[in-house]
Amino acid sequence: MKDSAMPANVPVLRIENIKKRFGDKEILKGVSFELNRGDIKAIIGPSGGGKSTLLHCINFLTLFDEGHVYLNGIEIDHANKRELYAYRQKVGMIFQDFNLFDHLSALQNVQIGLVRVKKIPKAEARERAVAELERVGLKEHMNKYPAELSGGQKQRVSIARALAMDPEVMLLDEPTSALDPELVGEVHSVIQKLAAGGMTMILVTHEIGFAGSLAKEIMFMDEGVIVEKGPPRKILYEASQARTREFCDKIIHFHHREDDQE
Amino acid sequence: MSEFLFLRNEVAPAMIRGVWMSIKLIVPSAVFGLVIGIITGTLRVYGHAVLKSVANIYVTLFRGFPLLVQLYLWYFGLARFGIYFSPYTAAVIGFSLCSGAYHSEYIRGALLSIKEGQMLGAQSLGFSKTQALFSIILPQAVRRALPGCGNELIYLIKYSSLAYMVTCIELTGEAKILASLYFKYMELFLIAGAIYLFLVSIATWILNHVEGWLAVPGFEPPRT
Repeated sequence: MKDSAMPANVPVLRIENIKKRFGDKEILKGVSFELNRGDIKAIIGPSGGGKSTLLHCINFLTLFDEGHVYLNGIEIDHANKRELYAYRQKVGMIFQDFNLFDHLSALQNVQIGLVRVKKIPKAEARERAVAELERVGLKEHMNKYPAELSGGQKQRVSIARALAMDPEVMLLDEPTSALDPELVGEVHSVIQKLAAGGMTMILVTHEIGFAGSLAKEIMFMDEGVIVEKGPPRKILYEASQARTREFCDKIIHFHHREDDQE
Repeated sequence: MSEFLFLRNEVAPAMIRGVWMSIKLIVPSAVFGLVIGIITGTLRVYGHAVLKSVANIYVTLFRGFPLLVQLYLWYFGLARFGIYFSPYTAAVIGFSLCSGAYHSEYIRGALLSIKEGQMLGAQSLGFSKTQALFSIILPQAVRRALPGCGNELIYLIKYSSLAYMVTCIELTGEAKILASLYFKYMELFLIAGAIYLFLVSIATWILNHVEGWLAVPGFEPPRT
């Protein structure tokens, strides 16, 4: 990608008026936002509000009914398969339940996309995969299979796997919500490292403390719309919408109670 | 002494001829059957609507007709339309297509057991659906289907004895001919049975090794 050739004001990723319905239930009712290079935005909100569907739509893993997705100002046409596959490499996706390939070792999980999709020679791909696993602190576990790794380690492998494809944007769909509490920290610190390296990210999460410390902007999403967005302090403590306040109050109280117990 | 001469001069050559013919029937039928099974099983889960129904009709027919009836159709039935197969060819066609229909059922079940997330994970990296199918989904499904497919291969060894009914003289056929010639049914069929048992044991041994060789820690329940 020739960054220098691109006007500085074009957002890396722009989502325009995405609508999606399943049967007669409208899950997304017109969602728009944009991300500039290095932006980190967090999406919070109650379950069933459309957060995961939105991320799946951005990656075309779920096809939306209306709307547009632009990468570096160019609209993505999902019917053009070559374009779609190239786009998906540029937009890394981290799933709640990891989706590591169960029959492949950690190393092979990271390597296979490089070999099969990017058509990089095996030896070179292996070198890159080892480097990515080292970056997430798992080099010594690289020959283990998913079933032999902890949840936190699996998620770190999946991050390494996405990073190996050289993404410009990362979509993280509740990366720590399937993890035991004591394993959340290791995944958070990997994500923090990415942030420090300037990675552009969208983070869907229930960990509002983490979201607040990482993101410049938090979007509160409910019933298929972005109800409100703004800097973390404002959304978490001084939201203007009643729905946002109600949700944040509940979640903040819950977290304080958890803290008290410790 | 005459028993020994009978065994050496009559039984041994016939059994060796028979086993050799049986192996020549079993090995290609096993390979073709497995390939047909993987293709049709995959089409039944991931194929386009038309191919899916063709594959479904194939499986319904070939699992529904008795194998002996199928063999008769290939060998005697098609002759009426001027299509003549040698006994050997008719048998291999019959076995492969029948075996393939059963394999496809094991493959289909295994494909359906692979979590959707495996496909999503692959697609999110830029894999096309076909690429994901070949590099991610099928390698897992084949491992899952292996015990079932192995079972089908063991069956094949035994139903290969039906080739004799379309005059392809294999192990059972040779035993039958000698037995009626000398009226020694018990002896010859016990010998033939023992040879089948031996073939099955070899196949079981090979299948166990293949399973062990393909095993992925934690992917399959631990083998006992």
